[in-house]
Amino acid sequence: MLTRCISVELMKLRRSRIWLILMILPIISVLIGSVNFYLNQGVLKYEWYSLWSQVSLFYGEFFLPILIAICCGYMWRLEHFNKNWNMIMAAPISAVWIFLSKLMVAGLLLIFVQGLLFLLYFLGGTLMGLSSKLPRELPGWLLRGWIAAITISALQLALSMRIRSYATTVGIGLCASFIGLGMYIANLGLFFPHSMMVVGMGVISQKSISPGDMIIFFIMNIIYIVAISTFAIRWIKKSDVIA
Amino acid sequence: MKALSLEFYKFRRRRIFLIITIFLLIEILWMGIVTGKSVSRNPDYAIWELPIITLCSMNGLFLPILTAICVSRIADMEHKGNTWKMLLSLSVKPAELYRAKYISASIIMLWVCVLQMLSIIIVGILNDFKQPIPLHLLSQFLIGTALTNMVIIGLQQWISMAIKNQAFALTLGMIGGFIGMTADLLPQQVGRLFVWSYYAKLSPIAQSFTNERMNFMVRDINSLLPMMGVLIVLVVGIYLAGSIHVSRQEV
Repeated sequence: MLTRCISVELMKLRRSRIWLILMILPIISVLIGSVNFYLNQGVLKYEWYSLWSQVSLFYGEFFLPILIAICCGYMWRLEHFNKNWNMIMAAPISAVWIFLSKLMVAGLLLIFVQGLLFLLYFLGGTLMGLSSKLPRELPGWLLRGWIAAITISALQLALSMRIRSYATTVGIGLCASFIGLGMYIANLGLFFPHSMMVVGMGVISQKSISPGDMIIFFIMNIIYIVAISTFAIRWIKKSDVIA
Repeated sequence: MKALSLEFYKFRRRRIFLIITIFLLIEILWMGIVTGKSVSRNPDYAIWELPIITLCSMNGLFLPILTAICVSRIADMEHKGNTWKMLLSLSVKPAELYRAKYISASIIMLWVCVLQMLSIIIVGILNDFKQPIPLHLLSQFLIGTALTNMVIIGLQQWISMAIKNQAFALTLGMIGGFIGMTADLLPQQVGRLFVWSYYAKLSPIAQSFTNERMNFMVRDINSLLPMMGVLIVLVVGIYLAGSIHVSRQEV
């Protein structure tokens, strides 16, 4: 049933041109990051590491969470229109699959975004003639960024399901990014979804994350995903919908 | 005037003012914390220039997205309710409707600018700034921010009304926020091509770093007038282009 729900979700997005929206952020991040790196090579001496700091800084800190908010909001917006809530609730599908299929589709879209970021980062560095090897931490940054992105997706999906106004959920995403940055500065980065993105992607500090922190990172993400999904699924089961 | 009052009537229960104000409070809180920390580290920074420049730099990120949210909510109520046809059949001219929506969004965003100005005053008083409140700098800040907002409202409204899928309008807000935040990193000639960078460019204060120390310089308003002139032309141009395009579109 889950695979059928996922294919239905993908079908709903088929003509939405959402891929266009997903592509824009990695392109702008790498473009502006690379230009800045190129113009300041006197100061930014650590080749791929410096390029990553320029490319990922604003991407991971503020804009990937906003992009996630836009995508998740769009996925629920389809249900808020045309009495689709009534249809979805009348269909013989469990609430668990409804929410999880949306979360998994969001995860798939984010693999595309992270993959594109990697490709463009590699291309940008190669075109600028960076001779050293790619950072060995790079797969970890991308993977942990993706995991934190799924946690944020769960949160945004729950919000977008509850709040009918599309733009409001994007605004909440923006404010949560600021709160996440504050949590990171207060050394509580491993306890809030948006700051886990900053820690996981090596956005501010490119040092390797310690094994202890890595365990906390994964445990916190699992706790958030399970807790938010449980709450959202419970809400679908218990509350009446407004179609 | 009637169309404008009807716009306010339509979104009276949508809590746009409240939502925008709550989002803005996060930015103001952040500015207050940054100012407070800088002053506690170095009492020389207890000057009005600091909160003004902090807010101007943050506005590059925050206000394009806030504008996108505000405009999208105002335009989306017609898309959601499928009310375009009904409104136009009530002998309301499309251009009149476009104007009413533009003015109502501008009023909301002007409220944002005023609130920011008041927040600077409050932060200054709380941090015990010795100088008197610099009303000329604050009014310069207000004019620069409001003018940049008006160009961005024009762009956002055009997209929000022309394309039903609001994801595109919100994505434009996100792109604007990205460019607004990073424009200072780009060469000046490139940076000035993007309207979102004008929050910082029209700031009454300029900052520079020498020996890891922040220095502030007050910009002469006369030096900002040519940029303001360009923005006024853009306000008119983008508004007219959007209004004509949307009016001619099939609903």
